[in-house]
Amino acid sequence: MFHVQNLTKKFDRTAVVKDISFSLEKGNCVALLGANGAGKTTTLRMLSGLLKPNGGSITFEGAEPGADIRSYIGYLPQYPVFHSWMTGKEFLVYVGQLAHLTKQEATERAEYYLERVGIANVGNQKVGKYSGGMKQRLGIAQAMIHKPKMIMLDEPVSSLDPIGRREVLTLMEELKEDTTVLFSTHILTDAEEISDALLVMHHGEILEQGSLASLRDKYQSAKIELAFKTFEEEQLEALKALPGIGEVTANRDGIICLVDDTEQARQAILTKVTQENWALTDFSVSKTTLEDMFMEVVNK
Amino acid sequence: MKQFMTIMRKEFLEYWRNFSWIWVPVVFIFLSIMDPLTTYYMPIILDSVGGLPEGAVFEIPELPAPEVLMMSLSEISMFGVLIIILLTMGTIAGERKSGIAELVLVKPVKYPIYITAKWLAKIKLFLTAFIIGMLVSWYYVNLLFDTIPFTDWLLTVIFYSFWLVFVVSLTIFYSTLLKNPGLVAAVSVGTLIGMSIINSIFSHHLTWFPNSLSSHILELHKSGSIPSELWGTAFVTIVLSIGLLFLSFFTFQKKELA
Repeated sequence: MFHVQNLTKKFDRTAVVKDISFSLEKGNCVALLGANGAGKTTTLRMLSGLLKPNGGSITFEGAEPGADIRSYIGYLPQYPVFHSWMTGKEFLVYVGQLAHLTKQEATERAEYYLERVGIANVGNQKVGKYSGGMKQRLGIAQAMIHKPKMIMLDEPVSSLDPIGRREVLTLMEELKEDTTVLFSTHILTDAEEISDALLVMHHGEILEQGSLASLRDKYQSAKIELAFKTFEEEQLEALKALPGIGEVTANRDGIICLVDDTEQARQAILTKVTQENWALTDFSVSKTTLEDMFMEVVNK
Repeated sequence: MKQFMTIMRKEFLEYWRNFSWIWVPVVFIFLSIMDPLTTYYMPIILDSVGGLPEGAVFEIPELPAPEVLMMSLSEISMFGVLIIILLTMGTIAGERKSGIAELVLVKPVKYPIYITAKWLAKIKLFLTAFIIGMLVSWYYVNLLFDTIPFTDWLLTVIFYSFWLVFVVSLTIFYSTLLKNPGLVAAVSVGTLIGMSIINSIFSHHLTWFPNSLSSHILELHKSGSIPSELWGTAFVTIVLSIGLLFLSFFTFQKKELA
């Protein structure tokens, strides 16, 4: 539905976004994942028309040729700023009218979306009095007001407290029903929680992309975490030598073994522990998380 | 056109909410009547603050009414213009700096519409204030000095308005070019000072230079008809204003908005 091809952006000859390409499916919720400074905001700003790319193309399926691409998208910047002397509802009606709605349509939709994002009770108060969470919701409402084909949210939950975060995530999950959502985040659990697909960005490049399921298939492996009362270097070596065990790493909390065959590895490890009489304090079998995948992709 | 009205209505609402519609006219009234009143009451003021030494004879010349009206204009051309610049400097630059522009310009807003609507809203505000100020000034000049015919007053206001339009256009142009409102004000004032220097050096060659508007307006009062230089100067001022407006579209279109 939405295609980005070879998009590039340079600031003073330093490429911030390097030749990225991706497509979005209709009705998907896609997370643009990356550390601070990876180029996420720059990418979203280019897609929203605020920045001009140095190269590449952005196309919408079904868009009339020569049409203003901004009619099809809604955008929420990381730190949305409103006219503080306006009320939330006035602002929504204002931007609605800018997006070619009639005054009546804009008013109706403003009321609807104020209700929808849960700030109908403060709709007639000045935005200057809003809390951070309320501004974020108003921001989402203004992005939705002209029923865009796609909304882009830049770090929509990063600045919120845990409760506000939860509420906005739930809201985004609901918005998926109406439109395509592309949001950037550096928080992996948020991405994992509500997105259908991921774009992993690092140093201006998209290193990995795909649906959540396919990425899990590709990267997820079983792992066994161990902790001992006392840690010795030779334990690592001994574990590495066991059958069914791949990479072994140690961190502050203990030892992590990536395993090929969980059953075989578990037996081997437990046997070894008993033989050597190591003081085992923790033993757990789990799967690698998106964070592990992220680290793997980024460090490749 | 609908977008144009939307933006302009929003600007007017803002002028109501921050009381611009009240205090800007009040300031212009104050600027306009200050000189006529102090000139007229000067002898009384001098008397009451202790006056002149015993025996000193101090003739205060009788000023013709048009010159007193021109005093109002000269106050406006100093402080009025400064207020206009300070209130206009953030029009575009401020919205971009604060980040509001990000939310407005991701909507399908045509940039020339965005700029022109703000330009016209400012002009309406300032011209309203200017006309009210000059009306009050006209009233006092007629009362305290001599009668100025209505048509002369009207022509004065109309022709001087072009200068104020030019000031707004200039400031808006810098406001699209630069991101810092304070810098916009500094550069605008600098440009006006530069223009007035050029005008005073080359005034013989540049009879149509915008800065000479007021001297041509004074001619109008003396001769009772519109001098051709006034037409020419007005024409140049309008062309420059429109040129600056189009230049603003151009710079804004080329700029990175965020």
